[in-house]
Amino acid sequence: MSGQYHRPHRWAWFLERPGYMRFMVRELTSFFVGGYLVVFLITLARLGGGEAAFAEWVAALASPGWMAAHIVALVAAVWHAVTWFAAVPQAMPIYLGEERLPAPIAAIVMGYGPWLTVTAVIVWWVLR
Amino acid sequence: MPAQDTMTLEIFRYHPETDSEPRFQSFEVPYNEDWVVLDAMNWIKDHVDGSLTHRWSCRMGVCGSCGMMVNGEPKLTCAAFLKDYYPFSIKVEPLVNFAVERDLVVSLDGFMEKLQAVKPYIVRDDVNDTSGGEYMQTPAQLAQYKQYSMCINCMLCYAACPVAGHEDEFLGPAALALGHRYNKDSRDQGQSERLDVMLMGEAIWGCTFVGECTEVCPKHVDPAGAIQQAKAGAAQEYFKRFVAPKGAGA
Repeated sequence: MSGQYHRPHRWAWFLERPGYMRFMVRELTSFFVGGYLVVFLITLARLGGGEAAFAEWVAALASPGWMAAHIVALVAAVWHAVTWFAAVPQAMPIYLGEERLPAPIAAIVMGYGPWLTVTAVIVWWVLR
Repeated sequence: MPAQDTMTLEIFRYHPETDSEPRFQSFEVPYNEDWVVLDAMNWIKDHVDGSLTHRWSCRMGVCGSCGMMVNGEPKLTCAAFLKDYYPFSIKVEPLVNFAVERDLVVSLDGFMEKLQAVKPYIVRDDVNDTSGGEYMQTPAQLAQYKQYSMCINCMLCYAACPVAGHEDEFLGPAALALGHRYNKDSRDQGQSERLDVMLMGEAIWGCTFVGECTEVCPKHVDPAGAIQQAKAGAAQEYFKRFVAPKGAGA
């Protein structure tokens, strides 16, 4: 016999390291974010269908099954956002002269700060 | 005199002239608190089995030669202390995502081709013109790439990257980080040539930002961050070429 040895293809690679599993969870949360966008688009379509159609849709969204779905989607969306905010300082470093802005501060400047600001504006706009 | 404590190393063996499949072989080695896995492997080679084949050189985390899988984790064996595993056995394998040449030695041919492709050196149009003196650089300009210049090509990042193991077109963490290091160097003029390579197929876009390359890097290079930054540069270049293709109007 002679030649190199090639390891077999590892189909379950994502189970091999905790970091791989965290990556898969981060990626899978995008389905919930995308799914909730569909719910939002349906809500807009129902709004265009008139007051009765909208009220019927909103009442349906308040059912126990939908409430559970809202909670799962919220948790997934928050996890999705938090993991990406944590990654932003790696992808978009900010330098002040020779010094790189520390990652936690960069995450606040580029992630949490704008997020909370936009959220506060929306809450103010809805409750005013 | 009390008996010397020992530890067991389970070592991946593969001799292509006799083996069709790899096998694991157990070795008892003396336990010394200040020994690293590489010391134990060298002891085996010197005292038990001279045919054990592994790469090493500096023993101080500089040369990048002794990277192996230690209990499934990509590690420099010169920095993996026995005391961190004692009294349990240690499984030593060649780095995953590479073809195995012999025992713990992997083939680096593919990596070397990818590394060369990103031109990991300063590219200048005026390379022979020294009339202007040295190329000056400020500390702030140095800071832009210094972290990425610390790479020792140990290949641990390739062993930790699931994409490198499944996508041949992907240039991989170290090669892309080094390409980015030169793209960020204020003295360099070769970014366009490197982006020619990075923009091809899955060369850079194969990266899905798993981030484990950064986790295992012994020199804190952060290849994952370098690749995401390089992607931003590649995307800008892609649209620039889309709007004004190279050679258009010439």
